[in-house]
Amino acid sequence: MNQPVPRLRFEGVTKEFPGVRALSDVTFEVAAGEIHALLGENGAGKSTLLRILSGGLRPTSGKVLVDGRELVLRKPIQARAAGIAMIHQELQQVQHLTVAQNMFLGHQLTRLGGLVVDRAEQQRRAAVALARIDPSIDPAAPIRTLKVAQRQIVEIARALLDEARIVAMDEPTSSLTPSEFDRLAEIVASLAASGVSIIYVSHKMDEVFRIGHRATIMRDGAVVGSRSLAGVDQKEIVSLMVGRELSQETHRSFVTDEVKLEAVGLSSAVSRVRDVSFRLHKGEVLGIAGLVGSGRSELLRLIAGADRRSAGTLTIDGKPVAFRNPREAIAAGVGLCPEERKREGIIPLRSVTSNLSLPSLRRHSVGGLIARRQLDKAAERHLKGVNLRPFLPDRPIRLFSGGNQQKGIIARWLAASSQILLFDEPTRGIDVGAKSEIHALIERLASEGHSIIVVSSELPEVIRLSDRVLVMREGELAAELPSEGLTEQRIVAHAIPGYAGQSISHS
Amino acid sequence: MSSVSPTDGADGSSLRAPRTLALRDAGTLIGLVVILLVFALLAPGFISERNLLNILQQSSLNACLALGMTLVIVSGGIDLSVGPTAALSAVISGSLLLAGVPVPLAILAGLMLGALCGLINGVLVAVVGLQPFIVTLGTLSTYRALALIYTGGNPVLGIPASYRAIFNGTVFGVPSPILIVAVVAIVAWVLLKKTPLGEYLLAVGGNEEAAYIAGVPIALTKIAAYVISGFLAALTASILIGRLGAAEPILGNLWELDAIAASAIGGASLMGGKGSIIGTLLGAIILGAMRNGLTLMNVQAFYQLLATGLIILVAMIIDRMTRGRG
Repeated sequence: MNQPVPRLRFEGVTKEFPGVRALSDVTFEVAAGEIHALLGENGAGKSTLLRILSGGLRPTSGKVLVDGRELVLRKPIQARAAGIAMIHQELQQVQHLTVAQNMFLGHQLTRLGGLVVDRAEQQRRAAVALARIDPSIDPAAPIRTLKVAQRQIVEIARALLDEARIVAMDEPTSSLTPSEFDRLAEIVASLAASGVSIIYVSHKMDEVFRIGHRATIMRDGAVVGSRSLAGVDQKEIVSLMVGRELSQETHRSFVTDEVKLEAVGLSSAVSRVRDVSFRLHKGEVLGIAGLVGSGRSELLRLIAGADRRSAGTLTIDGKPVAFRNPREAIAAGVGLCPEERKREGIIPLRSVTSNLSLPSLRRHSVGGLIARRQLDKAAERHLKGVNLRPFLPDRPIRLFSGGNQQKGIIARWLAASSQILLFDEPTRGIDVGAKSEIHALIERLASEGHSIIVVSSELPEVIRLSDRVLVMREGELAAELPSEGLTEQRIVAHAIPGYAGQSISHS
Repeated sequence: MSSVSPTDGADGSSLRAPRTLALRDAGTLIGLVVILLVFALLAPGFISERNLLNILQQSSLNACLALGMTLVIVSGGIDLSVGPTAALSAVISGSLLLAGVPVPLAILAGLMLGALCGLINGVLVAVVGLQPFIVTLGTLSTYRALALIYTGGNPVLGIPASYRAIFNGTVFGVPSPILIVAVVAIVAWVLLKKTPLGEYLLAVGGNEEAAYIAGVPIALTKIAAYVISGFLAALTASILIGRLGAAEPILGNLWELDAIAASAIGGASLMGGKGSIIGTLLGAIILGAMRNGLTLMNVQAFYQLLATGLIILVAMIIDRMTRGRG
């Protein structure tokens, strides 16, 4: 044969679940040492494919070839033996164990004929593997003391330890800062240079283009194309993913002179947020940028009444307010769409309508009983307004995609007549199509006179959505920048500790 | 076990038809029917109007407790102290009756005491922030001890006939305890399905942090569940002392286990956020029918215990298998 045998080949892989074909005839190849991006909207079948690769699912038909040999996996543990490592979006690590213990979890090194775990040897080998990519991580440190980025590096080191030849990464950067991403990109590139094949799943186009060699795009369970990333532009990839052209997104401003909310010297009793002052106008979208841990989310929690403040004042419509809990903030018209939807946003087992109605149940009650018909009608109206899909308000919210769960949460605050909407990472883990929908929705809400704060790690998102951008650094406001003509570089410069920025200008 | 990425909606885990609680209730009902059929074949006299009423009457006490327990479990908690709460309320209520306090007042005092016991549980869980299991394990001993200390370990005998008549009577041939518990069940059903508190209970048990952000009054919701549980424990006690004519400080030993079992058989998840009033009633009747049938068949007590244990396990296994992988 002239052609080299590919490291990994999916050949006609089809997976059927009762009633639905999740994958149909998926065929593509990944060469040795290649960083291959796997792209597609939620529900396109990427995760199903990864689960087949990792032995978590068996295909209905078709096969997976590694170095030309068919891979037959019955259990996830066999994937590891076959040189396949999986790095999940939500890292599956045991919090109270050490770095080394986590790296050897499930195949501990032992002494005395398997009776005793050889911790010393585990630590030594873990240190060797870590030294290749990040010597600053202590193999004896408990995993919970590490930052997410470091934990990801531990997972990569674990893959090295297993001498993995194929590493699949599912949205590895969803919670990394730009500099952490740079570090990860370096590590991934050097891993590929040493001959490891990488499958890289991400929603972030910029990253994919920076890091990847080739991309396979999936839609509705099928491959719609494979492209070398050197020769295509983002628009082509995105339209392949969504199956249509996305409308060009430009910022439209609806800001008025009316001050809706004003914070003066706001400090938190439970986080590092201190001495934050700003104004939010009616119809304004105020962006907040900053590194993870700079206090962005905590500032939102403070405004939403979820955290207690230690100093400062907050006024809404000129009246001072002091929230002791989110209930009081909600009554004053403040609603928070939290960062981690699964943990802080949704009640998974309950219907979309139930999730939506929690803050407004009282209003829809007559004589202590819920006025169900009135409530359902209101819920339906708001869910139509945010374009819930599929439109099944009575279905448990956990069965919806991330984007539609987010729409449900937004509809919740509209139903509660919230005038001030706080978005923490509004599009994290949400696919491209739904993302532009959420953006359009935020814009529409501003046009309808809502006052909005958007916290996001994705700087293009912040710049695109906001009228003004506040940059936070180590719990304080580092800068206030008009979004017109704003560049990512300028934001980053203010966000990084130690930068001697110009003084803050108040509007 | 490999987990599904939360972002991909088209995975197997998401394709299951949404399971409504009504479907789960139908499963419990089928279980009950199977058990009734089995005993109808094996135990002579099992299917007779008199015996069926008997089963309902025997199940009514556990059902009453289990209804409160279900609300607590739905909220993400557990109430191990229901038996001692019942005992404490029984001996106080009994002593008041002996001291000549009018019957309605004595009943009310007992019920309020039960609610107070629940309030203490609720405050320790929701305000102090202790774990429900530990709190109610502690009050389980505490309330029992108070009942024993108060009575010196002796039963309160001689509950007046006027009191006993209330709980031994029948209305249209149906024993009054069954009617009382039926009313309680309807109220509990309305509470869980039709009131904001019901939605709050399901939300707090389903995801406390998210419920907090959504403006649910977390502490009040949890406290309400324990107060209701304590109140119903006291109500169960007042029915029982009416039937027995005595209030023993050791009354209600291990009641919590039967109540938890009825809730779980009925579909309540001990993780919280899920539970059914109808299911709990059916669960209590399943346990009651089992015991009644086995007794009719002259099965020894040891084997009855064995059967009860097995029925709980089998019910949970069927539940798990029909639910698919979570």
